Amino acid sequence: MYKVLLISKYLRRKLAPLFAAVAVTICTAMVIIVISVMGGFLQTMRDAARRGTGDITIEAGWTGFPHYAELAQTLEQLPEVHAATPVIVGAGMVKLGDHVQVAPVVLGVDPADLNKVLPFQSTLYWGEENMSLPQVRQRAMQWQLPWDDPADADGSQASEANGNGKTTPPRGIMPGIEVYPKRRDKGGQYASWQSLIGARMNLTVVPVTQAGGMLEPETRELVVVNEIKSGLYDVDKSHIFVPFDLLQEMMGMGADEVIDPETGEPVGGRHEPRASRILVRAAPGVDLETAHEAVRKATARFAANHPDMTGLYTYTWEDQHRDLLNAVRNEKGLITVLFTIISVVAVVMVATIFYMIVLEKTRDIGVLRAIGASRMGIANIFLGYGLVIGLLGAILGTALGVTFVYNLNELQDLLDAWFGWRMWSAETYYFDEIPEHVDYAEAALIAFGAVVSSLAGALIPAALAAQLDPVESLRYE
Amino acid sequence: MTTTTTTILRTTSLHKHYRLGDQDLHVLRGVDLAVEAGEWVAILGASGSGKSTLLHLLGGLDRPDAGQVRFNGDNIFSLGGSRIDQYRNRYVGFVFQFYHLLPELTALENVLISAMMGRSVFGWPGVRKSVRQRAVQLLTQMGLGERLRHRPNKLSGGERQRVAIARALINEPRVLLADEPTGNLDADTGRQILALLADLHKAGQTIVMVTHDQRIADYADRCLTLERGKLVG
Ligand SMILES: Nc1ncnc2c1ncn2[C@@H]1O[C@H](COP(=O)(O)OP(=O)(O)OP(=O)(O)O)[C@@H](O)[C@H]1O
Ligand SMILES: [Mg+2]
Repeated sequence: MYKVLLISKYLRRKLAPLFAAVAVTICTAMVIIVISVMGGFLQTMRDAARRGTGDITIEAGWTGFPHYAELAQTLEQLPEVHAATPVIVGAGMVKLGDHVQVAPVVLGVDPADLNKVLPFQSTLYWGEENMSLPQVRQRAMQWQLPWDDPADADGSQASEANGNGKTTPPRGIMPGIEVYPKRRDKGGQYASWQSLIGARMNLTVVPVTQAGGMLEPETRELVVVNEIKSGLYDVDKSHIFVPFDLLQEMMGMGADEVIDPETGEPVGGRHEPRASRILVRAAPGVDLETAHEAVRKATARFAANHPDMTGLYTYTWEDQHRDLLNAVRNEKGLITVLFTIISVVAVVMVATIFYMIVLEKTRDIGVLRAIGASRMGIANIFLGYGLVIGLLGAILGTALGVTFVYNLNELQDLLDAWFGWRMWSAETYYFDEIPEHVDYAEAALIAFGAVVSSLAGALIPAALAAQLDPVESLRYE
Repeated sequence: MTTTTTTILRTTSLHKHYRLGDQDLHVLRGVDLAVEAGEWVAILGASGSGKSTLLHLLGGLDRPDAGQVRFNGDNIFSLGGSRIDQYRNRYVGFVFQFYHLLPELTALENVLISAMMGRSVFGWPGVRKSVRQRAVQLLTQMGLGERLRHRPNKLSGGERQRVAIARALINEPRVLLADEPTGNLDADTGRQILALLADLHKAGQTIVMVTHDQRIADYADRCLTLERGKLVG
């Protein structure tokens, strides 16, 4: 009981232990903040990566594969699969005014179908909130401009307004928002006057024959109906979305007549239309690997029944983005190790402060021994003291760290308003906001580590106090 | 005073050396002492003669190089590790020249801490009330009824020594070991402390007191002198 009394007295009457507690608090908070921000960063990237690619992809190389609609339907029947949609993948370039840009990934999609596989509509950047126009996204999903007459579904008004006299109105295109870069402000937002909606864009792709030969490039004039912001820079920098049938035709993957390569004459009959990929979304609650396995087996079965389907392979979004995600994961690990090493400073600090207290309290330790305290008892006073300081530091540090993480963006706005300084530049990091995410299991582990560290710091001084010779201590007046 | 006397504390040929480098200081050279229950023994000796050393051995605070200290017939140094802590806590009470109170604690807490020792956090609430009552009673008896919540730095030397005596007595020890209890006090205050010890002695308390002052030693029943490492007289 006397230990409790002494610990509480020493806590209230001494300043030094409060410094130790502050050191533990700061270290705990620091490690929690770093791990949370890095973890949030990773999580945000994972979400974005998944958003951009769906769960599972089936692919057969650049020339695609036939019977895609049938395969997609078959897959959708699997209990592990929520939805599946075919897409066409091409590559080429785009021209906006005089600006020519490489378009590494041109995707031909059916927006409504794609939306079942990944949250496509929500990645459309322009909407009511930043365009002051109704139904911008709903229209874009039909490849329509926001100001098109809804009754005039073929969009002829757009072409008329443009006055170029073409009879067929241009079809829609949705480039990733970073395809035309350098438009973001400090807060990571794009001004609506910079929107490309309504702009004419020329898309050129190079069709490829099934044998792998290149054909004449195909160019179309299209009109931008929206822009894509998935949140993953790689995707938004490189992806361009166009209607499925348009790209299929441009890439020569449609139901064209079969041509004799020798004579160049049609030999009768038509090619089976092809798609480049099928994107699959796992059913809710089914984990990725289980779904992947089911899709892989079903695909193999399907291919076995169709001799013209060869070279099909499947992969998950994690496989696809492995390098990027691993890089961030490693970075998180590295920084965590670094900050853990810094936290050793806290241990040394606790040890030093406790050592000073032991020196200062040498006589009192002798007195306690004289009135009956055991060596263990003396050691326990200091260990208990270390425990209390560790607990105090861990609790305060966790509270501080968590509060800090949850208010990072507000804090940053304050700093920006007061000093014009942003620690997080959305221009550089691409995410609009610092991820505010705390993994409570990790936080608890860190707090536990803080308590253990304080105890470790108290250990040597406690052993020292226990070893003191009481007679020697009492000689001091 | 008492007709049937029992020896409560006995030392047999107690030796103590201090070694400083290659110097060997043989402080106690075979001390034989028997303290009867209820007796007040004074040990006289010049400064550096080893009086404090002897008292620390009697109280189990230090270990002799040879010889024994027997309490009620048991050699205290052959007791197990925690038993000797218990011995210091329950059976003897130390009073020092420089009071040695804990500065962070109030007068009352300084007295109570000795009673808390040996009681766990769970054992304490059960006895807290009665122990506290006894502590208050002891301090009141010593004229410190108004000073319970004062910390040592707010007390005079005489008051501090009385708190120290109350602390030594709280566990009702069989023997009170006092090392120059008046050594740091003026003559008047010293006399008050001695009067207090005399009262305790009258009530049956066994006291072993160390001093270098013959006039103080005169308060005791019996006076022994430590000379060249041995007790004489
Ligand atoms: N830890 C120690 N190391 C070395 N020498 C010591 C130690 N403790 C005591 N001594 C020596 O032993 C002798 C006896 O010391 P002790 O404190 O018992 O004397 P004392 O009779 O109590 O003296 P005083 O009246 O001044 O208090 C002294 O000469 C002292 O210097
Ligand atoms: Mg002395």
